[in-house]
Amino acid sequence: MPMTRVEVTPRQGEGMRDVRGDVVRRQLAADHNVNVPEVRSVYGFLVNGETPSETIAERMNDLFADPIIEQGAVNTILLTTEMFSGTPDAVITVGFKPGVTDNPGKAAKDGFTTLFPEDTDATVATYQTYAFYGLSAEIDVHWLAGTLHNNLIQRALIADKAACEQQVWPALDYPTPPEQVFIAPQPMDLECDDASLEEISVNGLLALNVEEMQAIQAHYRDDTIRASREAVGIVPNAPTDVELECLAQTWSEHCKHKIFASKIHHIDHETGEDTVIDSLFKTHIMTPTHDMQNDVDWLLSVFHDNSGVIAWDDTWSICMKAETHNSPSALDPYGGAMTGIVGVNRDIMGTGLGARPIANTDVFCFGPPNWEGDLPDNLFHPSRVLRGVHAGVRVGGNESGIPTVNGAIVFDDRYIGKPLVYCGTVGIMPRTLQDGRPSHIKTPLAGDIVYMVGGRVGYDGIHGATFSSLELTEESPSSAVQIGDPITQKKMLDMILEARDEGLITCITDNGAGGLSSSIGEMAEYTNGCEIDLAQVPLKQAGLSPWEILVSESQERMTVAVKPEDQATFEALADLHEVEATAVATFTSTGMFHVRYDETTVAYLPIEFLHDGVPQLQLESEWTPPTQPLFQPPSTADHSTLLTEMLQRPNIASKETWVRQYDHEVIAQTAIKPFVGVKRDGPGDAGVIAPIHGDPHGIVISCGIAPRYSDIDAGAMAAAAIDEAVRNAVCVGLDVDKMAGLDNFCWPDPIESVKTPDGRFKLAQLVRANRELERVCRAYRLPCVSGKDSMKNDYGSGPDKISIPPTLLFSLFGDHPDVRFSATSDFKRAGDRIYLVGTSHQELGASEIAYMLSERGEAEGIGGEVPQLLDPASNLNTYRQLSTAIHKGFVKTAHDCSEGGIAVALAEMCIGGRIGAEVDIDGTGTGDVWGRLWGESLGRIIVAVPEANESDFLALMKGHPTTILGTVTDASDLIITDGEDHLLKSDVERMAEAWKGTLDMTGGVA
Amino acid sequence: MQPKVAVLFGFGINCDHETKAVFELVGATADRIHVNRFIDGDAALETYDILAVPGGFSFGDHLGSGRLMGNRMRYAMRDALQAFVEAGKPIIGICNGFQVLVKTGLLPGPEGSASPDFIQRGSLGLNDSGRYEDRWVTLEFDPESPCIWTKGMTRMECPVRHGEGKYIMPSSDDLDRLASSNQLTVRYVDPDTPVGEGRTDAQLPYPLSPNGSMRNIAGICDSTGLVFGLMPHPEAIYAQWLHPHHTRDGAQPHGAGAMDGWEGEGLQLFRNAVEHVRSNR
Repeated sequence: MPMTRVEVTPRQGEGMRDVRGDVVRRQLAADHNVNVPEVRSVYGFLVNGETPSETIAERMNDLFADPIIEQGAVNTILLTTEMFSGTPDAVITVGFKPGVTDNPGKAAKDGFTTLFPEDTDATVATYQTYAFYGLSAEIDVHWLAGTLHNNLIQRALIADKAACEQQVWPALDYPTPPEQVFIAPQPMDLECDDASLEEISVNGLLALNVEEMQAIQAHYRDDTIRASREAVGIVPNAPTDVELECLAQTWSEHCKHKIFASKIHHIDHETGEDTVIDSLFKTHIMTPTHDMQNDVDWLLSVFHDNSGVIAWDDTWSICMKAETHNSPSALDPYGGAMTGIVGVNRDIMGTGLGARPIANTDVFCFGPPNWEGDLPDNLFHPSRVLRGVHAGVRVGGNESGIPTVNGAIVFDDRYIGKPLVYCGTVGIMPRTLQDGRPSHIKTPLAGDIVYMVGGRVGYDGIHGATFSSLELTEESPSSAVQIGDPITQKKMLDMILEARDEGLITCITDNGAGGLSSSIGEMAEYTNGCEIDLAQVPLKQAGLSPWEILVSESQERMTVAVKPEDQATFEALADLHEVEATAVATFTSTGMFHVRYDETTVAYLPIEFLHDGVPQLQLESEWTPPTQPLFQPPSTADHSTLLTEMLQRPNIASKETWVRQYDHEVIAQTAIKPFVGVKRDGPGDAGVIAPIHGDPHGIVISCGIAPRYSDIDAGAMAAAAIDEAVRNAVCVGLDVDKMAGLDNFCWPDPIESVKTPDGRFKLAQLVRANRELERVCRAYRLPCVSGKDSMKNDYGSGPDKISIPPTLLFSLFGDHPDVRFSATSDFKRAGDRIYLVGTSHQELGASEIAYMLSERGEAEGIGGEVPQLLDPASNLNTYRQLSTAIHKGFVKTAHDCSEGGIAVALAEMCIGGRIGAEVDIDGTGTGDVWGRLWGESLGRIIVAVPEANESDFLALMKGHPTTILGTVTDASDLIITDGEDHLLKSDVERMAEAWKGTLDMTGGVA
Repeated sequence: MQPKVAVLFGFGINCDHETKAVFELVGATADRIHVNRFIDGDAALETYDILAVPGGFSFGDHLGSGRLMGNRMRYAMRDALQAFVEAGKPIIGICNGFQVLVKTGLLPGPEGSASPDFIQRGSLGLNDSGRYEDRWVTLEFDPESPCIWTKGMTRMECPVRHGEGKYIMPSSDDLDRLASSNQLTVRYVDPDTPVGEGRTDAQLPYPLSPNGSMRNIAGICDSTGLVFGLMPHPEAIYAQWLHPHHTRDGAQPHGAGAMDGWEGEGLQLFRNAVEHVRSNR
């Protein structure tokens, strides 16, 4: 087909700017201290179609170029025109590699069809060109190109200074994907020894161990199995490649959580304990929740669906799910993170009969953005990971129309090896549909027709689940990386919610890890069977082999079952929304996962074997407490200076630049936003939404995360994460008697092996974390309703191996009776009385101050007492009283005390209110000055109470640890004393400047 | 009879639920209608009294925000839109909806004519900051504007949530013309100025003007005042509990109804249009 090139650039003139060029210029300055006087940009379109170039040229301003602010030309490189005067020093053109999702290209194709409906097969690809003027000769243009693209998914062409002077401009051609070769299903001979079995697994990226391969081998030796296979005409004594791939996906660590399900022999050298734990998940997560389910009537659906569902009121139920997308985000931060957020949105869509996503949360763990040390091969600089991940989540969330209401960003050197990208979503659905079915229960029957809805299947996304169950190496496959398409997904969401409300859906789940093999395979458990025809599945490009179609994780797809009599209505709805919906399977009750390609059977697996055939892992765990050099603070210190420095620490500094780029208010429901206070730049403790318009009934969404406590004890780390999530939620007015949690574990590989000699210790960390999770959740009456784990967060091997600190993200969602009675962290008025709720102990181990001083060589280490949650049951009672004080309107100001202790919490409260405070920390606990000022003891919240409400507040808090700290003042300073001793004095504007500076990273607006 | 509002959705529009809700809160009935239902003839625009094009990311904002949705409407709904405007029925575009109305040419529309010609005269470009941002701004309305949506409104705080909100026209003459007919309905202002005196042509610094809009323009209307569009989100402050300062100075005590004493400033804008329809029956 003939190709037409269209290039467009912003017009120059008064009030006009080339903003894309400006952004590149500012980021080079902010991230690399490279100053370029001018960068200009060109947007390019390659139209592959039958429409003549002259015709496209006539309509250029109707589609490609905005007639007011842009100018363009057809089949002309704009650098050769009068639009660009002067010779640039470098020109770099970046486009996608063949087969990579090009969303602007897809949109352009849609717009092209509006103008030229007869040119049905036309396709459009896009690229961007940057011209650099005044670039220093010292800058290597290849390095520069490296900052502008990721060569896993993009290609770049460069004109260096010499080429520019000769006016040789780069011109990308249309990215034609390579032909895919259809390979008919092959039998995979497993009649071999164990070493060969292992080799088959490794070479095929199956991520199955010898015992698992043996279980598969044994299956095909069974005579009954062989006879049943013979009857349907599939190779009887060996798996097909389709079957082996299907089993590898279904049995992957990612899908089956084999470590959490394993039998663990646990030895504790501290206590002498020697015991066996049969499944951490069942013992410490599922059983406690099921016990709590006996006590309350609002736990509707836990663990088995795509998210956990609770009854919010008589009319609505709400659900939440959080996922991680770490490995893809390490390879392509933008695409990996975007598929993370749109993927977890689909978990909500796939809950019950379909829920509507109404709020997102994002928690990231990165290496320090100002990292100046060496970077291992194939790893991006943390600032680049931050920018890419943030952009992916921003685009994915914003374009989907789902507000991002809560989150966190945590920094530690070890996350350079593997960033953690947690994405969570809250959903809402009517408790019962109009046809009377409860919306949280799926109702499929044998005979129902299974549709694949949304995007098509492509080569992208093959082996994502098995890949994420392997550690990151140089050879990690690029096909595991995808870019999401939020608009395709948004159209699908609109359509699915209408289908749900019309009663058309009997079963729904998302296509994530493992693709159709997982989604249909899991749903087929309900009816005990299914029959799939892979030849029906619409493809992005012809030639995909059956196993690839079955396991591809191409994005934006839901699997939906409808009754045969509803097919026409369902398909008409899909047409209206311009969503592709294709019948690809039928539910049966044969007990078999039966896959055909046309008439040929390519997989024939018993449902029971597919889901329950994986052998239980047997693992060894051994606990010896790690030894850390003790943190001993200096004998004298300038606490005012320390406060400024602490406010600048990336872990404490304001994340406003990043968070403000998320839409946190779409749907018009967000009652407590990520930033609060006079100038709307103080920290919000938790998100609060009131999703029913006109009704102030609310939902609180919060999180807790404290990975560095694992350096002393991963059990304490888990307890701290849970308490922080609860504290944050209490600060805004959570009803503590209706809250639910999500546990997301990210761990380094805890299985002892040559590559992981310390596997027993890492597994013991996991055991301790789970035991604390159970203890604290039982005490808080806080059921975990959903969770996930990611267990291979390591980079490299040997002495260069980087393992992340064991990290539990605890997310919480709960009830808020009336959002008009909420509190925020900003100090409100001079004269308000400041109280500490809770008690400080001498707990400085692994604290932020310990890390700061030991990193600078002013303290020997970070060791010592890590914060402990000694009596969570009494904490809960205290929290309940404080929530009551907020609901009664006595308290409008509350802030969680965590990293940086009381000093940082008070500073943040002053910044939010742009007002001063005088505080005396005498009597706040048992620790010394360092412990009470900087310590991070759990269970503490600072509140401010108007004098008029003080006695009511104190009456409510009677019997709960509540200590007067001081008063909000009209002055501009935060002053902290310890009895007679002056500790610090800090000006509020200076604190704000310090707190907001570190992570600004915008390069300004000039 | 209650005025009927058509709230468009589909293809990435995402403020349709709350836009429907605010019209209902001020006494209208509102339907969320997929764009294709109007195009296919399954729903008729003429049966509605008000058209709202809500915010969102239609077609991902690719090729310029609002452009692809604008084209669909310009080519497939042209006659219906023309008849709707000529019949004197109000239209509002918020955020992405404003971008759509500008790119279809419905805003600012031809000089002194109530009959749209679908010629694009202005545009909305990328924010000078280069960033999509969600932040609260202070707005002031031109009391002389013919805009029926903003009658009686002076100053309001509400969020902007966009990456492409910089209003641009080719020359200052174009802007002078709109100014002289009071079509520069709403501007970003410095909250420290006295109420009613905030509007200025002098460029306000970021973030007072969040995007670098010419003359700090936040929204404009056509010459009849019936078609109105703005980048900020008035529906996002339909209730005071959505204001970032409600824990600082929210109303107390509460009345019997949830909204008593807690109505947000943005609701008046929608009430104005509904009242306009009622009083012109």
